[in-house]
Amino acid sequence: MVTEFRLPDLGEGLTEAEIVEWVVKEGSVVKEHDTILKVETAKAIVEVPSPVSGVILKIYRKQGETVKVGEVLVAIGKKGEKAPAAPAPQKVTEKLGVVGKLETSAQVWQPPIAAKASAAYTKVLATPAVRSLAKKLGVNIETLNGTGPSGRVTEDDVVAATKGNVLAKEMPRESTPPVSAVKSVRKYDFYGYIEREPLKGIRKATAEHMELAHNTVPVTSMDEVDVTFLFEFREKEKIKGQKKKAHITFLPYIIKACLDALKEHPRFNAAFDDSAREFIIKKYWNFGIAVDTPDGLIVPVIKGVEQKSIINLAKEIELIADKAAKRTLDLAELKGSTFTITNIGVLGGKFATPVVNYPDTAILLTGRIYDAPVVRDGKIKLRKLLPLSLTFDHRVNDGANAQRFMNKLKSLLEDEKWIKKWQI
Amino acid sequence: MKKTIAQFQVPYLQVLDETGKIDENVMTPLSSKQIKELFELMVLTRVFDDIALRMNREGRLGTYAPMIGEEASIVGTGYAMEKNDWLFPSFRENTTMFLRGVPFEKLLLYWRGDERGNNFPANAKSLPVYVPVSTQMPHAVGFAWAAKMKKEKYATVVIFGDGATSKGDFYESMNFAGIFHIPIVFVCFNNQYAISLPRSSQTNAKTLAQKAIAAGLEYFIQVDGNDVFAVHSAVSAALKFAKAHGPAFVECFTYRRSHHTTADDWTRYRQLKEVEAWQKKDPIDRLRKYMQSKKIWTKAYENKVVAKARTTVGNAVKKSEAMPEPDNKDIFKFMFKEPTPDLQRQSKELDE
Amino acid sequence: MMAVLDMVQALNQALKLEMQRDKNVVVLGEDVGADGGVFRVTDGLQKEFGALRCIDTPLAESALIGASIGLAMNGIKPVLEAQFNGFSIPMLDQLVNHASRIRWRTRGQRSCPLVLRIPVGGKIRALEHHSDSPETYFAHTPGLKVVIPSNPYDAKGLLISAIRDSDPVIFLEPLSLYRAIKQEVPNKPYTVEIGKASVMREGSEVTLISYGAMVHECLKAAEMLDGKVSCEVIDLRTLKPLDIEAVSASVEKTGRAIVVHEAQRYCGVAAEVAAQIVENNFLNLKAPIQRVAGFDAVLPMPKLEKYYLPNVDKITKAINKAMSY
Repeated sequence: MVTEFRLPDLGEGLTEAEIVEWVVKEGSVVKEHDTILKVETAKAIVEVPSPVSGVILKIYRKQGETVKVGEVLVAIGKKGEKAPAAPAPQKVTEKLGVVGKLETSAQVWQPPIAAKASAAYTKVLATPAVRSLAKKLGVNIETLNGTGPSGRVTEDDVVAATKGNVLAKEMPRESTPPVSAVKSVRKYDFYGYIEREPLKGIRKATAEHMELAHNTVPVTSMDEVDVTFLFEFREKEKIKGQKKKAHITFLPYIIKACLDALKEHPRFNAAFDDSAREFIIKKYWNFGIAVDTPDGLIVPVIKGVEQKSIINLAKEIELIADKAAKRTLDLAELKGSTFTITNIGVLGGKFATPVVNYPDTAILLTGRIYDAPVVRDGKIKLRKLLPLSLTFDHRVNDGANAQRFMNKLKSLLEDEKWIKKWQI
Repeated sequence: MKKTIAQFQVPYLQVLDETGKIDENVMTPLSSKQIKELFELMVLTRVFDDIALRMNREGRLGTYAPMIGEEASIVGTGYAMEKNDWLFPSFRENTTMFLRGVPFEKLLLYWRGDERGNNFPANAKSLPVYVPVSTQMPHAVGFAWAAKMKKEKYATVVIFGDGATSKGDFYESMNFAGIFHIPIVFVCFNNQYAISLPRSSQTNAKTLAQKAIAAGLEYFIQVDGNDVFAVHSAVSAALKFAKAHGPAFVECFTYRRSHHTTADDWTRYRQLKEVEAWQKKDPIDRLRKYMQSKKIWTKAYENKVVAKARTTVGNAVKKSEAMPEPDNKDIFKFMFKEPTPDLQRQSKELDE
Repeated sequence: MMAVLDMVQALNQALKLEMQRDKNVVVLGEDVGADGGVFRVTDGLQKEFGALRCIDTPLAESALIGASIGLAMNGIKPVLEAQFNGFSIPMLDQLVNHASRIRWRTRGQRSCPLVLRIPVGGKIRALEHHSDSPETYFAHTPGLKVVIPSNPYDAKGLLISAIRDSDPVIFLEPLSLYRAIKQEVPNKPYTVEIGKASVMREGSEVTLISYGAMVHECLKAAEMLDGKVSCEVIDLRTLKPLDIEAVSASVEKTGRAIVVHEAQRYCGVAAEVAAQIVENNFLNLKAPIQRVAGFDAVLPMPKLEKYYLPNVDKITKAINKAMSY
């Protein structure tokens, strides 16, 4: 690399000097600090040392010439390197600022020209959370009219814009792979082949839910109801219901009967608070209806039973069963039960010991209605019987209560007058 | 009734005058070896300065504060300090720091804008360069105070300029030191200029040494700052006093022959005549003359000294320029003993 | 009539014009007279107005600001200089405990109209203590106005406004811009209103908010992304009182804000601007507000400075991040 050596600042305010003698010539080899020339200032003769080691490539100024501080005297480099033919112009570093170096510019700065005046912009008010939701759901928020305060776009506005079963997309789902895809690890144990199935999806949820109820003290009270009249009644109602597009089963009547029975025996419509050591009697009645689906047991909740007609109940039961099977229920529909009814009758079976749906304190299981000979007034009659199993938490209720509750249920379901109340 | 309740006198000391003659009455005996050492150190100072200035012009060094003209004060002070004494410098005492164990390559790193230059060897007894004027003074007081509390037997020497004597820190530090009898020597390098402000515009006081009187210091003196024997003698005596009794003050009356820094231009505020007049009082010239008279100087000897100095500084230049580039994560090191969580997070931004 | 000036010359002109207009305007500081100021901002003033109006003071920042407060309370308008930002720190005592509250504590009977000029900022290859950005200390103190120009035209107009202001103004001058920009500046006196920001470049997708030297880094980044991202660049010009209307109007339009400054990020001006933007523009925000600022570490010496300070790369990264939301 070629070094262009300039006459350095000689101090003492001196700005120029006369070259008295060149101690080297072109081609000379010099070491850093070797004197290469002598200059005379107004005061004295000064020896000027080389700043680098190398070869003197080109000397630009002659003996006897007056040189200004900052002007190039000589080019020093490696043997064979080319020095510039003419020396670079005088460079005087401005002594400014006491500390540091200020950059100088020769060009005139123009304040930047404003970019094309921006077009009118759409002003959409929305919180960052709503904007994020819109993006996630693929909604262009700029096209929405907000229904919130000050015309703000709300979460509902965004959701409504998705046109379709948004809730379906939003329900938190556990991934339930079809059975065939369940990964099983074949293994031996001591006795033979085994297969492992990890808890997943609804199975996992059910297992965990059941484990929650570990403090419950369950006792099951069993009995049978003579539903001969109800059975015939329902046959007739079913035809009427079909005309109204409702599929009427026994469940709406059982729900209504349970409602009245629970009003009389409120401690079966309660929840147990383990930590507070209290049970909470609910003053509202929400019925969890257990639904068996290919994926497992799901318990959607029917609310506001008192206000609903048999038709409405029937329709709702059908709807939630369908939703359950399609896994399109949303979280709200799965919460809030105060009493649960589970029906295995579809598949057959009489009695069982159902597990209370935590944190409720009672659950009613209905078996299959069957024909049976029973003794009435000393004579054997053929009647239709419905088996009932009532599991209750013994911490809140006793067997006697339970039987009283059961008796009330039975009395309603065997009461022709009560049944006729529900005629469509 | 009116009477004088206190009176003070400000002593002045010169041993070696401009012509190279000494006043035997006030000369502290020094061996030929010691005189030569003083001479060699002053030559070393001038050589370092010369090389640093050239490197600055070549862009190999940032802004630099030249020492030329003040070699006697710089060397005399450093030479007088004892093994365990601590130095609190300002920014124009490279050789004094060198004498306290700070290698030249560290100083060159500093002037190049590299904080690693402030990472001194464990046995160096100097603090790094202080840029904000006078702020080193209360530190020097506290440091010496700690020594006293721990019953350790050394003193601090704090160096500052004439400008610093106008600051509150200056008076407050001396006052503290005086009342607590702190083993500290305040050494003022009065080089007649604070950037462009001449000493006569800095204060109406006749001397700077007398400012110590107001603070209650009991040892104060002004010396010819271009006379290395006087500086050495006064600072030695001051250190003895400080370790035995309390704070001392030495004003070295010298001259800043070059610019305040390489980014200053003294032709804007002072005359060449004045600079030339001070050239006649050069500290190295007068010592050379004395040594010649004592037959302990030859031209060959000086050439050897200059060559050795160039080699010493040259090696330091090589070492400092061979340093690998610093790790950019060094920005976060040494903020705290352990980096705080937010500093750790910010440090990761350098990876992106 | 116009002239092409750099910022030093523009400031010099402002001082000269004001000293001509009002004989009570006095310039004081270290090396401001005979030397014309270490950066030549006060060059020629002592020659024209004499040593009693352009005064070289002893080396004592505390006494300088204290005496200036005294002057200001008694009818003189001091325009004093802290030679470097590191040396303005001893002045905090007098500024925080006195200058900022004289009007307040005397219930308006006395006031403290002074201008403190301080060179600030890095990128000048200087030693320690010379490249810091201390604006937050002053902006945080109630009773002080804080102003910082980014170009010669604004520098002249803002300094004249500052000198005519009835309250203490801290006038910060970006060192790296002193000589780096030459611009056409009118010869006559004119004012640039304190408290008003300036839109340096119009855009529609992201608002870059900055002041001082970093304004130019923002403009460079905006220029580089021209055609890809439409950036609006706002020069705050006054840090206190903040022109939140200008900032808010811009963010309402773009929905994205990035604030850039050299000073450390913790409790820096960007933090204040970001908080005010959230307060005013919450429902307009399309991306989180970002700060591109110095790290919370001591500003390193020149060797490592380039990793520390904001630059076009860091700003561009922030713009791209804002656009990704």
